[in-house]
Amino acid sequence: MSAILSKVLQSMNIVVFHRLEDKTFQLLNSPPPWLEHFCGHQASVNEVVPVEGIFPFLDCFLEEAEEFWESKVSTPHRSGPWVDFTPHGEEIPLEAIALWEDDKPLLVLQDLGEEYYNEVVRLQGFRDGALNKESLEKEILSQTKQIRIREEEIAMKLLSAAGHRDHETAEHVRRIGLYAEVIAEALNWDKAATADIRIAAPMHDIGKIGIPDRVLLKPGKLTEEEFEEMKEHAAIGADMLSGTNIPLLNTASEIAMCHHEKWDGTGYPKGLSGKEIPESARITTIVDVYDALVHRRVYKEASSEETALKIMGQMVGKHFDPELYQVFLDNLDQIRNIKETYVEPSS
Amino acid sequence: MVQKKICLLGAFAVGKTSLVMRYVNSIFGEKYHTTVGVKIDKKQLVADGEEITLMIWDLAGQDDLTRLRTSYLRGVSGYVIVADGTRPFSLNTAINMHKEAREYTGDVPFIVAINKADLREEQWQVEEEQLKALEDDGATIILTSAKTGDGVEEMFQKLTQNMLAFDSENTSSDTERK
Repeated sequence: MSAILSKVLQSMNIVVFHRLEDKTFQLLNSPPPWLEHFCGHQASVNEVVPVEGIFPFLDCFLEEAEEFWESKVSTPHRSGPWVDFTPHGEEIPLEAIALWEDDKPLLVLQDLGEEYYNEVVRLQGFRDGALNKESLEKEILSQTKQIRIREEEIAMKLLSAAGHRDHETAEHVRRIGLYAEVIAEALNWDKAATADIRIAAPMHDIGKIGIPDRVLLKPGKLTEEEFEEMKEHAAIGADMLSGTNIPLLNTASEIAMCHHEKWDGTGYPKGLSGKEIPESARITTIVDVYDALVHRRVYKEASSEETALKIMGQMVGKHFDPELYQVFLDNLDQIRNIKETYVEPSS
Repeated sequence: MVQKKICLLGAFAVGKTSLVMRYVNSIFGEKYHTTVGVKIDKKQLVADGEEITLMIWDLAGQDDLTRLRTSYLRGVSGYVIVADGTRPFSLNTAINMHKEAREYTGDVPFIVAINKADLREEQWQVEEEQLKALEDDGATIILTSAKTGDGVEEMFQKLTQNMLAFDSENTSSDTERK
């Protein structure tokens, strides 16, 4: 190597070694001062320097470099940066490069200096930005959760107002939402939609608020005319909950409208059939019937689960979506847990 | 004296460098300083009555710009996967990095450090499912705080003991084969 080139490399903080046959390293240029800190003496040109053992990082890279030299690939192989410390504690960012030049395997060590610190600044900026973004996302998630809790509270208050009239209990309302959530989860609905149905399903009967007391609270059987009046609760509820861009209320509205539709098209108010009925409403129909059967009402005693399932089994394909009913059965353990957790207050 | 190389892996800003600083120099700084490339520190300790020098490789954290360079794991005797208990995604990154590391290192001992445990009361967001996935894969999970020092010594000590036990098991099974 020419003396000029050697000096140029030295001034650029670069050391070049020739990797010899016996896998030792011969220094090819005048070394920059930092090499002395690691070697313990000022190495001179053509000296064989025991590179291994000086830098722990390099010991690892040299194994890779040997594979590279053996393969004789023309593109230089870089180690990536590492930081080493002189015995005085001075930090030196280095990089090693293995390459072939003039049919010689060479090892280049470079003090990256400014270049390294510029990269640190660039990455620091990028990562500080990413951390800020993460922290904002966390804040948004936490706020969204708060909003969701408030939505649920408002829905429960509304329902309790409606419940005052037809004596539905808070536990029934909560159970319907939780059952529906279990099924939505089993169907792999996304998280937001699953959370929506938990709050929306209990609102299915909210339209009863618009039914006159003489019909709603009539102890005996309804006349045909009264029953027609009662059926209006579906449309009233849907209307009450419509007209917003809030997904939760849109779901609640479709459930309110369609929870009396039947799989075979004999339900009301529109006589929809099969998958014309929104899935949310088909789910709610199943869980509402289950909950009504296994709990006591003023007009009937509670059925055992076995009896309830027998009755429900006969409704499959007529009243219920057969596939969804199967999902309901597959998740009966969870449904049962909810039933046992949210029990009716003893009267 | 026995020398062991270990690596710290994990997402960016989970506290890998802070754990090393706490363990090696007993210091902690609040400000986040990103690591570029690799920093190597040494620490001597006694484990199971044996003097050991740990060569601790602190690898740059993983993000969209920096991926794990598995060749850094060459010759490793064990590794620590570090996650930040206040950032759930960092545990997912940890799980993925562990899988990647495993392919390269084989069955060497590893520890999962869930760092920033000093924030456990206020901002902890570790999901049981994530921990279970790691435990199912044989992970020892230790909660650490580089800030207070809790769990830090224990984590390095435990990993070293596991590495010694691993060596001894492998030596005895080699002997048995002979």
